[in-house]
Amino acid sequence: MISLETMGKIWNSYSSFYWKGLGNTLWLSVVAVVLGVILGLIVASGRMLTIKKDENIILQLLKYAAKFIAVAYVEVLRATPLLVQVMVIYFGATSAGLKFEDSTATRMFWCLIAVALNSGAYLSEVIRSGINAVPSGQMEAARCVGMNHWQAMQYVILPQAVRNILPALCNEFVTIIKETSVLSMVGTAELMFQAQTVASATYIFVEPYIIAAIMYFVIVFTLSKLISAFERRLSRSVTR
Amino acid sequence: MSQDKKEVIIQVKNLKKQFKHIEVLKGIDIEIRKGEVVAVIGPSGSGKSTFLRCLNLLEQPTSGQIIFEGSDLTDKRTNINQLRQKMGMVFQSFNLFANMTVLKNLTIGPMKIKGMKQPEAEKLALSLLQRVGLGDRGDAYPIQMSGGQQQRVAIARALAMQPDVMLFDEPTSALDPEMVSEVLDVMKQLAAEHMTMVVVTHEMGFAREVADRVIFIDQGVIQEEGTPEEFFGNPKNQRLKDFLSKVL
Ligand SMILES: Nc1ncnc2c1ncn2[C@@H]1O[C@H](COP(=O)(O)OP(=O)(O)OP(=O)(O)O)[C@@H](O)[C@H]1O
Ligand SMILES: [Mg+2]
Repeated sequence: MISLETMGKIWNSYSSFYWKGLGNTLWLSVVAVVLGVILGLIVASGRMLTIKKDENIILQLLKYAAKFIAVAYVEVLRATPLLVQVMVIYFGATSAGLKFEDSTATRMFWCLIAVALNSGAYLSEVIRSGINAVPSGQMEAARCVGMNHWQAMQYVILPQAVRNILPALCNEFVTIIKETSVLSMVGTAELMFQAQTVASATYIFVEPYIIAAIMYFVIVFTLSKLISAFERRLSRSVTR
Repeated sequence: MSQDKKEVIIQVKNLKKQFKHIEVLKGIDIEIRKGEVVAVIGPSGSGKSTFLRCLNLLEQPTSGQIIFEGSDLTDKRTNINQLRQKMGMVFQSFNLFANMTVLKNLTIGPMKIKGMKQPEAEKLALSLLQRVGLGDRGDAYPIQMSGGQQQRVAIARALAMQPDVMLFDEPTSALDPEMVSEVLDVMKQLAAEHMTMVVVTHEMGFAREVADRVIFIDQGVIQEEGTPEEFFGNPKNQRLKDFLSKVL
């Protein structure tokens, strides 16, 4: 049986544990998504490189290589579970001696890298399809007023692509908040790990997790509702 | 005609364009003179748009030369971005920048490409909007306007770069019939001001009335060209006769 009274007791003694866990979950998610966006932009640009037949052969080969790496990265990271990626990266890096003095810092760092790499793969696809969804006539018209490719991107294509990308980007953030729970498996003190710690300290195995579930739910549910409201506003401002 | 004495602004020499398997343009030669209005007609799929898009290198020609104001556009050393500023283009589907107001659509080129100051660019933009009859719509977004209005803005946007040539690719084909004339009127006014224009069109009335020269493209070559009187009054090419009998 789930007892509200037990939950109350746990909360009274361990609330600071949970707050610390939630804090770590949130900042890891924010930083991972920010890094993921940067990575996603780079990878999406790599995938969208155009190779012209009349270019320098070395440049052509470099572009092919960049495209191949970008595609391989996206496909591999999307076709394997985040937990496996976290394990491989964390244990791979630490066993290769890539660690800080402080083991907590090492854990946080490699977990962050793993989640960022994972969300970079998803976000690169979000960014790419957001850019491709801008009609090709927009680029042509921009080139016709004398803009070069990058000016056209900056003034015309990307501002329109952002509108396509933002909702999916926010959703990725929400997903990441939930998915960082797998980081508990390597001992990163995010919300799920803190709940586990409470459970093993108290020998109570349901209520500590229910508290975590409630905290995840409140955050994720609220953010999702905010995002759909924001999405509705965006689409209104486009169709007017 | 006096046209022959005017200087040549675009010279096209043996222009060929091949897409993967089909050769769309099989050798086009034409000279376009300053102040001239050239109408390009031909059946659907004959390569009219491809020809026009080769003129400003939206399509890369497979071979041949395009000499614009003395520079060979097909030469890799030519700065195409600089030369495109001198060639305005108007598309069938308007292609106004959807993320900008009408005024911004007109000022972005002059400001970002030519380095014009904002007040000056806005003054120019407003005077052009007035010229196309939309002086009060600067704050609107393209999506809030009718097709005819958008196309007039698109013409004004091209004019804001103060081009030497205007290229039109079926500017009225996407419009509801009642909006065609408002766009054609703007184009007629431009022609009257001696703008050099190359106009791909299905509007035979416009070609007959406004063009100095009409060219008929079919099967990848110019089958016939001439003044509107010769062209429509006494066509010689059999394919042109067939075409005209269908569209007139
Ligand atoms: N990017 C492209 N890739 C492959 N084929 C193309 C491409 N653009 C045009 N074509 C082909 O080239 C031919 C000529 O096309 P183009 O658009 O120039 O014709 P058009 O005379 O403008 O026709 P319409 O009156 O329908 O506009 C068509 O068969 C078309 O399918
Ligand atoms: Mg066409």
